[in-house]
Amino acid sequence: MKRLASISVLLMLKARAFAVARFPKPDFHSGYQYPDIVHTVPNETFWSWMDLGILTLMLLAAVWAVHRAKSRRIILGISLVSVLYFGFYRSGCVCSLGSIQNVALAIADPGYHLPLVVLLLFLLPLAFALFAGRVFCAGVCPIGALQELVNVRNFRISRPVTVALGVIPWIYLAFAILYAATRSQFIICRFDPFIGIFRMGGDIGMIVFGVLLLLLAVFVGRPFCQFLCPYGALLGLFSRFSARKVEITSPECINCSLCHHACPVDAIRPPSRSSREEAAGKGIKRVLLYLCVLPLLTVGGALLLDSQHDSLSLANKQVRLLHLLQTQEETATLQMAPEVEAFHEMGGDVQVLEEQVGHIRQQFHLWSLLAGGLIGFSVGCRLLRLSVKRTRKTYEIDPVACVACGKCWSYCPQNKSR
Amino acid sequence: MKKQAKQPKGPTSRRDFFKTCGTIIAGSGLLAVGGYLAPRSSATEGDSMWQIDPELCLQCGRCQTECVMPVSAVKCFHANQVCGYCDLCGGYYRANVKELNTAAENMLCPTGAITRKYVEDPYFEYTIDEDLCNGCGKCVKGCSSFGNGSLFLQIQQEICLNCNECQIAKVCVSGAIQRVPVSKAYRLKDKA
Ligand code: SF4
Ligand code: SF4
Ligand code: SF4
Ligand code: SF4
Repeated sequence: MKRLASISVLLMLKARAFAVARFPKPDFHSGYQYPDIVHTVPNETFWSWMDLGILTLMLLAAVWAVHRAKSRRIILGISLVSVLYFGFYRSGCVCSLGSIQNVALAIADPGYHLPLVVLLLFLLPLAFALFAGRVFCAGVCPIGALQELVNVRNFRISRPVTVALGVIPWIYLAFAILYAATRSQFIICRFDPFIGIFRMGGDIGMIVFGVLLLLLAVFVGRPFCQFLCPYGALLGLFSRFSARKVEITSPECINCSLCHHACPVDAIRPPSRSSREEAAGKGIKRVLLYLCVLPLLTVGGALLLDSQHDSLSLANKQVRLLHLLQTQEETATLQMAPEVEAFHEMGGDVQVLEEQVGHIRQQFHLWSLLAGGLIGFSVGCRLLRLSVKRTRKTYEIDPVACVACGKCWSYCPQNKSR
Repeated sequence: MKKQAKQPKGPTSRRDFFKTCGTIIAGSGLLAVGGYLAPRSSATEGDSMWQIDPELCLQCGRCQTECVMPVSAVKCFHANQVCGYCDLCGGYYRANVKELNTAAENMLCPTGAITRKYVEDPYFEYTIDEDLCNGCGKCVKGCSSFGNGSLFLQIQQEICLNCNECQIAKVCVSGAIQRVPVSKAYRLKDKA
């Protein structure tokens, strides 16, 4: 069987796409001129810097709208611009969400060339979140903006469910990093539900998913942002420590709970009295317990994912190729997968491939440890956060979840009387 | 903030302290990533576009089906300088064609994107209509097997959306699609 395969390989070798000059260059007598075909190149450099400039301007505008003007209308205006420009006109690539993967790959592989614009695309919204909260989500991100614009009602999901589902973005982030760092796939790009809508075409499955999510977004605020977005997870982390928090109202809160019901992402915590009365020692004990569990969860997550690194590595093209080659040999079928055929056609060396795959597997080893650790750690932090009870006298915004959409201000009666 | 400064002990000030620490850690994290990666990325000569290396391309047919565009951004290009201007064109006619006429059943191209023009005896000029071409690569395979290999596939940059990860590159059997700098946006066979 192997024999047969190699014969067909020899035959195919001849068909390679090199320019082979089987026929001499014609010498024309009729004064024929070669046509001059010019292939134009769009000015990609210009456009990427243009996008970055507009992104910065819109971020600044959002900061102003969120912290100074406190105007929901301006935010909606920004959202509309973002959906039209970043979404439909520029059709979404490359965005801050996707840039996570480029950055992860650049960190893992020094040979990867990261364009400066992409790096800035990654850093800018995070830097803004560190100073002014998630203003990027307010209306600058086309994905968030699109969901915001279609949202008409908010059916409240129960809080434990929200908290539990809230770890999905971290898991998503961990896998995105794992697959990007090992040069396997950019899953955030592959599974972006809205890109198909912006481009009005593409993978049917993803478009259906996107439309369903949008329908859901009509009744539940920003489902993608709340339960999927990996960049939102990072933004929330930075926004937790942000120097300037989003505020519902500057006059005193009268605890009317209107904002609480208005918030699309359930980011407003109601006043809670006297959690400290719950026997001071007990609360602290619980926190200490979770603090011990945290490293356990981290290590456990790391080991768990690492134990799967061999099967995870099948997402990589090279690993898959070797796998295909081996199954081909075992089953000895004549029907070759196109990849295998191409491998032989190009005169590929199995030994070299095996070496490469060994190296890739090692990377999977490392990165699945890290990714698993990240997942375990984020689950632990979630537990910890739930266990810390705070005393709140008024309605307060949780900066991690708040996307600075401004709905709460427009509902607050104190702001209206101003 | 000012009120809390007056009462230095207590959960509020402790929380503020943690928050400041967090801000500093997060900020330095950002600076570290930026500082580590910025020197390695340059503004102008970044590898920012996807292109097919025609030397590697095996015309597996995935360019036609995998691109995110409804009709693939990959098109057939023609290097006239390499072309033999043959009458019996391996890219134009099907492999075992009976009669050399322009009847549709003789054509290799499924979309009729190749036009043929008589130049002088015995030469014919071939032109690709990019609006019709769907990047299937059949003609390229034909020309590479029987002719000079003057037809080759390229990503038409005017159409390509420059996806963060090219969906064709992900499945290309020969790894022919790679990132190239803007200055080398096309890998032309006649202007190598
Ligand atoms: S959470 Fe994600 S998708 Fe939603 S607005 Fe923020 S960055 Fe965009
Ligand atoms: S601005 Fe107000 S309503 Fe909007 S997400 Fe933040 S807390 Fe919720
Ligand atoms: S045969 Fe395929 S690649 Fe060649 S011109 Fe026709 S559609 Fe394009
Ligand atoms: S980058 Fe996107 S649009 Fe361009 S050829 Fe690849 S898949 Fe098609």
